[in-house]
Amino acid sequence: MPSRTAPVATTDDADLVRSACAGDRLAFGRLHDLYARMVHGILLARGPRREADDLVQDVFVMALRKLHTLRDAGTFGSWLAVIARNRASDFRRRMRKVEELKDDMARAGPTHASRAEAEEMLAVVRELPEAYRETLILRLVEGMTGPEIAERTGLTPGSVRVNLCRGMKQLREKLGLPGLE
Amino acid sequence: MSDSYLWDRSGEPDPEVQRLERVLGTLRYDRPAPDVATASRNRIRRWLWVAAFVAAAAVVAFVVSLSRPHSAPGAAWDVSRVDGAPCVGTTAFDGSAKLGIGEWLETDGKSRARIDAANIGHVDVEPDTRIGLVATGRDEHRLNLAHGSISAKVYAPPRLFLVETPSAVAVDLGCAYTLEVDRTGAGVLSVSSGWVSFERDGRESYVIKNAECRTRPGIGPGTPFMRDAPEALQRALYRFDFEKGGSAALHEVLDAAREIDNLTLWHLLSRVDGVERERVYDKMVAHCEPPDGVTRAGILRLDKSMLECWKLALR
Repeated sequence: MPSRTAPVATTDDADLVRSACAGDRLAFGRLHDLYARMVHGILLARGPRREADDLVQDVFVMALRKLHTLRDAGTFGSWLAVIARNRASDFRRRMRKVEELKDDMARAGPTHASRAEAEEMLAVVRELPEAYRETLILRLVEGMTGPEIAERTGLTPGSVRVNLCRGMKQLREKLGLPGLE
Repeated sequence: MSDSYLWDRSGEPDPEVQRLERVLGTLRYDRPAPDVATASRNRIRRWLWVAAFVAAAAVVAFVVSLSRPHSAPGAAWDVSRVDGAPCVGTTAFDGSAKLGIGEWLETDGKSRARIDAANIGHVDVEPDTRIGLVATGRDEHRLNLAHGSISAKVYAPPRLFLVETPSAVAVDLGCAYTLEVDRTGAGVLSVSSGWVSFERDGRESYVIKNAECRTRPGIGPGTPFMRDAPEALQRALYRFDFEKGGSAALHEVLDAAREIDNLTLWHLLSRVDGVERERVYDKMVAHCEPPDGVTRAGILRLDKSMLECWKLALR
């Protein structure tokens, strides 16, 4: 099980959380800029890609409404990650995930070759164990570094590094890529 | 080859990781922050669509619209008496009443009332006030404060709740504030939390917590200032905004300005030009450095993105 640390948000982030909670929408916008890729990555790891963008918006709207219930502004990142995971689970319960995914792939079409390749690759990543696929998506899709992933999600840097290395090893095997020398 | 590149992009790049980044990076999230109103509407629309598979869509939509009065155009707002005998139209009420679009709520010297503004907050109406409901709907809730005093507390997406006055419009950006207008149409907006934009004819003043902004008929909103700003600054700002005080008033403002008054000075950047704009910039920088990416040249040419960046930092 990955270990978690708390609090994980910087003092600045905690200030933004408090300002957003007081009704400051500019602070809310800044929090979105800081955490949107994390939320998107978590949703991509669990649900249909076509819905992920809209669900990110849902997660932030939901978070804004619940922000007053967050006791420690310093744990905003891990709190938001839980909301995103729950939102993805709710969505999956309500939608027929497999059909959605197949539909996604079919709609990509030959004129969107690069997008189709990305979605095929994403499908392989999503076959990995949950901890690995979420961390790898944050790294490879959202472009976050390992230290950033740790800071935003509340995982320890050690756990993130292990997830990245083991996840990448499994991904290489699935894609038939050579391993690290 | 180590895993350094995979970890933090340091060390020798791993070509396979780079390829995965390149291909999968096309799926990266790059949307702006949600307009909370739009996101909410999208969600409502999606739920209505799903519901249509379960039941007759038209019936469901109708029922939902009936159950959400705040989003139904034309809905009346609830008003409750706090003191005395407030009136809606010419009818005094005891207890509660409805305020419809086009109707006015008036209080005399001894009466007060509270308006429940749809489901987004409330407005306390003080004595000797005349306020009307102009519009209420999914996209906008708008009151008109002809004269008197109100306190508004709003929990709504930015720019959804507006209060017109004879010389400016207070646009809620998520906040609590008081607004007073005398019978000449002159007014003052005072914010206790969040932000309010005070606007007229493209001129915008951003009023933050613990700040206020005056407005005058025929001129519009002045420059906002902190409530504890030095008297000298407040007096000079009044002359600058409403009495054509010009350079002399501006220099007095600059002389009296403290670091916390930089948001006042930020507004002045676009309200003066030439050498005076340079003086305002220099004074702001003497208080604190601008954020990364904000340059002197950019500010002096009123680069919109740099001004916005600096304003956000000053918040």
